[in-house]
Amino acid sequence: MQVIFKIVRQNLGNSPTIQDYTLEAEPGHTILDCLNRIKWEQDGTLAFRKNCRNTICGSCAMRINGRSAIACKENVGSEVARFNQGVSGRGNDSPSPDPHPCEIPVITIAPMGNMPVVKDLIVDMESFWMHLKAVDPYVSTAARQVPEREFLQTPEERSRLNQSGNCILCGACYSECNAREVNPDFVGPHALAKAYRMVADSRDQQTAARLEQYNQGTAGVWGCTRCYFCNSVCPMGVAPMEQISKIKSVILDGKDDQASRSIRHRKTLIELVKQGGWIDERQFGLRVVGNSCRDLRGLVSLAPLGLRMMVRRKFPMSFESSDGTATVRSLIESVKHLDNPQQFETASETPEPVGG
Amino acid sequence: MTLKYAYFPGCVAQGACRELYMSTGAVAQALGIELVELKKAACCGSGTFKEDSQLLEDTVNARNIALAESLNLPLLTHCSTCQGVIGHVDERLKEAQQTNPDYLNQVNGLLQKEGCSPYQGSTEVKHLLWAIVGDYGLENLQERVTRKLEGLKCAAFYGCYLLRAQKHIPFDDPYNPQSMENLFRSIGATPIDYRGRTQCCGWPLSSYATTQSFKMAGGHIQEAIAAGADCFVTPCPLCHLNLDSRQPEVERVIGQSLGLPVLHLPQLIGLAVGISPRELGLERHIVSTRPVLEKLGL
Repeated sequence: MQVIFKIVRQNLGNSPTIQDYTLEAEPGHTILDCLNRIKWEQDGTLAFRKNCRNTICGSCAMRINGRSAIACKENVGSEVARFNQGVSGRGNDSPSPDPHPCEIPVITIAPMGNMPVVKDLIVDMESFWMHLKAVDPYVSTAARQVPEREFLQTPEERSRLNQSGNCILCGACYSECNAREVNPDFVGPHALAKAYRMVADSRDQQTAARLEQYNQGTAGVWGCTRCYFCNSVCPMGVAPMEQISKIKSVILDGKDDQASRSIRHRKTLIELVKQGGWIDERQFGLRVVGNSCRDLRGLVSLAPLGLRMMVRRKFPMSFESSDGTATVRSLIESVKHLDNPQQFETASETPEPVGG
Repeated sequence: MTLKYAYFPGCVAQGACRELYMSTGAVAQALGIELVELKKAACCGSGTFKEDSQLLEDTVNARNIALAESLNLPLLTHCSTCQGVIGHVDERLKEAQQTNPDYLNQVNGLLQKEGCSPYQGSTEVKHLLWAIVGDYGLENLQERVTRKLEGLKCAAFYGCYLLRAQKHIPFDDPYNPQSMENLFRSIGATPIDYRGRTQCCGWPLSSYATTQSFKMAGGHIQEAIAAGADCFVTPCPLCHLNLDSRQPEVERVIGQSLGLPVLHLPQLIGLAVGISPRELGLERHIVSTRPVLEKLGL
């Protein structure tokens, strides 16, 4: 079938332009196959990264039809289906943003986000690597005596590392991370998935220090805005947001609500549900931001919001508890009393390790 | 056949977005949809329970779903976050029935200890948007329109949890959803295309990283205005809070005045089926909805 590749091209410091390439392609051809053919047969100046062609090295990450993915994993057939779904879903009366007639399917290719473009589809990944380095992504054995044999782990201990260990550092999650877009200090989902891999490793000697580090400000786990993009685009099923949640869970276990506002936010929410089944938002603001009147600056910062909500009758003047409050409170307490809540991971969410 | 749902109102629609509660009720009545409110339900945790423990999120929401199952009705949400959280718990527990029955027994054991019905996996969890598109039908909605929203340019703001929290969502490609835009067309409004429609509003950060949160919101509002939007329309009250109620603070952070009204999905539908702006609570917003009403000649 004929396919039009609309490729966003850019030279360092210049504005991006879109260039079209028409190609005869089979549904089973990968996007990387097609880019190679464009480069070899039509335009040798097109720049992109590639290496293994086998979803192992993570080099060819780019935005394909609007989301970050690796070009050697996605194929023409599924991308054309995605295009057709978009066209039929749009209805007939809409102005099509695409100047091409609908018969020829279009696949759009763009460089990854959150990183500056060097040329065409090649981005400068320096911040990605710096952020990875910032979480100390190595098992620390410094304080330990070297045993006579190996550093042994049980199969169960090893299996905790499977999901995060599958990361191939392609950058897809970092590219789509909404938190990273507004916070250049946030280390990003790839780094925090690796951070969890270290926290969960039974051989690591630095767990407490790591947890303190990942708990700081919004550079670590509290910088995540839970947009779910990392889970959604990861080509390896690493589910970085799940790993971030697991780190948060360990931190929350060891802290009280005075540790920081981000922690107070979590603790207060559960307390308020125990109190009323639903959240009484008036109390939520006072307790989290105002720290129950201990944080005067926090309280003052809420005043304009509260006032303008009162003026527009948006402020909730009353609160009605759920009829099931007592049951929910007791249920939450029962769950909290279980010492080690079983972390349930479905088979598909915990892929076996890939490669060596 | 009358459509009937077990209605999960959620916290925000009973608190700082009372106008969402009002407009969902008014629209359901106008369209002949019956809502049985789950008075014993509890907060879904908005993704925060899971940070404490997965078991907490699963157990509290298994109870919420079981309340709908007892009525033999699908559970209806009108909040992207409630939908993503409860919908994903439903997916996980249905999968656990096959792959991890011990875990499901643990959840049900906790429920039974408190005298709650066990989770059975016998119903569905659906957002109002999906109920209108899938069950009611856009053709039927079109027939109920008494006031076509001609000339009104609407920018959808979907909310992360509606698009990406569940493994499978009906109707939409999570990277290029069209349900909201199709609904706009069916009631005569014009959809606006802009990148922010599938992105995060910044709400989860708003209590402790306000500058980052408001920068996120501000970027989307600027982009929608540049694309020609008259208003945002959102199926998520948390997005509404960050985009509407915090908009004056957002303006200060980005150093630009904005003034883009943010409608809840049922408010927009309500205007098209002839419900009065007051019944829809359109005067309760922080950013005035007057320009939208004027554009519609109201």
